[in-house]
Amino acid sequence: MGEVTTTVRKVLSITAVAAVALPALASGQSWRDVTMSRQLQSDDAVRVNVEYGAGRLTVGAIDEGLLYRMNLRYDEDAFEPVAELDGDRLRLGVESARRNVKTRGRQSGRLDLELARGVPMDLDLEFGAVRADIDLGGLTLTGLDLSTGASQSIVDVSEPNRGSMSTASFEVGAAEFTARHLGNLNAERIDVDAGVGSLMLWLTGEWERDAQVSIDMGLGSLELMVPEGLGVRLRKDSFLTALDSEGLVKRGDVYESLDYDDADRRVTIDLDAAFGSVKVVWVR
Amino acid sequence: MSVLRLRSLVVATGVVALVAPQAIQAQTREVVAKEVSVGRAEATLRLEFADQQRLEISFANGNVLVDGEVIGSYAPGSDLDAAWRDLLGQAVALDDGPLSEMLSDWTVPADLAGELADVARDIDQALEDALSEVDVQMSSDTGTISVSLGDGNGLIEALVGSLGRLGVLEEALEGLDRDVRVHFDEDLVVPAGTVVEGTVVVIRGTARIEGEVDGDLVVVGGALDLGEGGRVTGEVRVADTRIVRNEGSTTRIVDLIEEDRESEAELRDRIRNEIEREVRGDLRGEMRDSRRGDDRGFSVLAPFRPVGRAIGGIAEKAIAILLLALLGAGVLAFAGDNVDVIAETARRSPGRSAMVGFAGTILLLPVWLLGTIALAVSIIFIPVAIAWLPLFPLAACFAALIGYLAVARNTGEWLADSEYPWTGWIRKSNAWVTMLGGLIGLMFAFVAANVVSIAPFLGFLSGLLVVAGGIITFIAVQIGFGAVLLTRAGRRREAWGPQDPDAAWEAAMNVDVDIDVDSAPTAGPTAGPTAGWRSRPSERGAPRRDQKRDQKRDQNEEGNDG
Repeated sequence: MGEVTTTVRKVLSITAVAAVALPALASGQSWRDVTMSRQLQSDDAVRVNVEYGAGRLTVGAIDEGLLYRMNLRYDEDAFEPVAELDGDRLRLGVESARRNVKTRGRQSGRLDLELARGVPMDLDLEFGAVRADIDLGGLTLTGLDLSTGASQSIVDVSEPNRGSMSTASFEVGAAEFTARHLGNLNAERIDVDAGVGSLMLWLTGEWERDAQVSIDMGLGSLELMVPEGLGVRLRKDSFLTALDSEGLVKRGDVYESLDYDDADRRVTIDLDAAFGSVKVVWVR
Repeated sequence: MSVLRLRSLVVATGVVALVAPQAIQAQTREVVAKEVSVGRAEATLRLEFADQQRLEISFANGNVLVDGEVIGSYAPGSDLDAAWRDLLGQAVALDDGPLSEMLSDWTVPADLAGELADVARDIDQALEDALSEVDVQMSSDTGTISVSLGDGNGLIEALVGSLGRLGVLEEALEGLDRDVRVHFDEDLVVPAGTVVEGTVVVIRGTARIEGEVDGDLVVVGGALDLGEGGRVTGEVRVADTRIVRNEGSTTRIVDLIEEDRESEAELRDRIRNEIEREVRGDLRGEMRDSRRGDDRGFSVLAPFRPVGRAIGGIAEKAIAILLLALLGAGVLAFAGDNVDVIAETARRSPGRSAMVGFAGTILLLPVWLLGTIALAVSIIFIPVAIAWLPLFPLAACFAALIGYLAVARNTGEWLADSEYPWTGWIRKSNAWVTMLGGLIGLMFAFVAANVVSIAPFLGFLSGLLVVAGGIITFIAVQIGFGAVLLTRAGRRREAWGPQDPDAAWEAAMNVDVDIDVDSAPTAGPTAGPTAGWRSRPSERGAPRRDQKRDQKRDQNEEGNDG
């Protein structure tokens, strides 16, 4: 993953340089390329708020003595970049420069964000119609709140969180949402609130402690990818929702994995779903 | 190190800086934040330094700006534009040290000439000035002087200023030796947990000490901020210097210019005054809190407070009723007929009146504004507009008041007929008394709320009564206002449909008739069966008409017989 990240970083740098060297290629919309970065001056905890409306979004970790580095391509007629550090509060992303911004045709916008590894962060990610590829691996997260609108998002925690958090929260609108290595978040509780769409949650990763996962799903399909050896207890409160609970046995009102009592780490899943399907898939 | 030597070294530093810049070891400033922004019509570089100063160089719409100030122009796509964008292209991938070095090393492209070359030179100079941090190190037999200058261009100014202070410096540096680091025109910040070795001299800057200075500290013409954890192992000598904080530890602080600093006595007086002000403020606050606490706390009078509040509330309502009744008396005296018409309309069409009143209330503001605008458009009507502005709201309030009083009168009449307890005093024959009774009836809920509030734990009921009173008042005002509008302030009687004859007869007979049985004739042609009965609502109507018919028939028959 590290090599991939490095490669991606090089590609992004080249892209940024090319974009700078070849200005005004875009027509119709007035594109602007911005690179912003800030030196890491202390290891004090930071509350980071990232807002991005439409386009492509990548988030990753950075080592190079920077608090953040942000490469941004946006329509300057419609948006304004934001990079504000005020005390322990860091705001990044873009905000609308005018009202009634139409997102149609603005899909070429892009935000590539890298955040410091060693700085404890309470991360708040908000994005709308976005194709997001977020890798939180290696960051030191003390809190996570991710909310997305109509998006196609992949959130990966490729490396264990260096910090710990009480609650990680995912609020998903109408989206195709995949979260990988949730165990690496090192969270006591993971809340997933999904509206309409396809949801795939990988409960893989290194679970440092027992955890509780709460899933509230409206209409759609949910796939729970559970690693073998992880004790899983599923409490279901659903309406017109099909459950494929392969590998789970029903004990009273709950479904449990066969080795639940003997498992080193146990995850309790509270599922509240309506109109959809839930499938449990075991992975090695 | 002797003072003379230090002074000569300081002066020498300036001279070296002036005549032989290459002797100065320049290092680049720390860049803490960078922004490279490139668009079709703009290419901008923004830098933020550790001391929170900023530099912004922008090529935008044909102008070259440094920190917002236009220093020249360029043609988009020109060699200068291309060179600048090329520089930014390199800046994208660099941060801090490498970025500073790359920007500092940038030189005017050889192929530029004329005005473009001049602009490029200005840019180069701006980058140099912002990024370079002059650092001069000079060794001597007894130690090393390290001179750091925040702004290379300010060197001469700083030197001139410091030469003026050399007399003070002489005293300040007396007896100091070891390594000396001089900061000209820049702040010295020693963060917590860090140690600076040797003597430090700060001229025209702020010395902010949160960590430790292992030596002496001299501040001339600046400010001293010795934080809580700050420590200076030697002496702190200040001259012409403001002491922001003195919370750390040091051997002692020596102020070298008595006349320039605030005397200790003055300082004591000031502190005393400040403390007195603080204490007085605190005492006032405590007394205020104490008084509030008495209100809330236990007291012998505590049980009577609700009674007092209730009596006060009832008195308020009584005064309001009395005032309204007085206004009603005036209205009845001068516009009694109008009130009759309004009251009749409100009684006959309460729903319609309420709707018209509500619509009228909503339209009040637009009508007022539109009227003002319409009148103000023409110069001729401007005086009218000036009168319209206050008179229209006044007229609306007056209309609502008359309407409310008319509804109060109707309410009084209703109460008079209702036979409710304590309503016997309301006499329909007296319009003012009827109106007064109606006002009391309309405000009864408010009065009841005050009464209920005396009892503990009935706050909710009291609140409900207040809400009910508010609703009743609102409805009464809407009905009254609507009736005023419908009748054009009581000047136009509403046209009513043909009345049912029986109802008309009943209305005509719906009066109180008291006939003294004893005084009525017992026989004779005028004596009839009505004599001696008292009109009651239940006794009216068809049977009574039959009695009247029978009486007439009897009289006719008697006449015929006679």
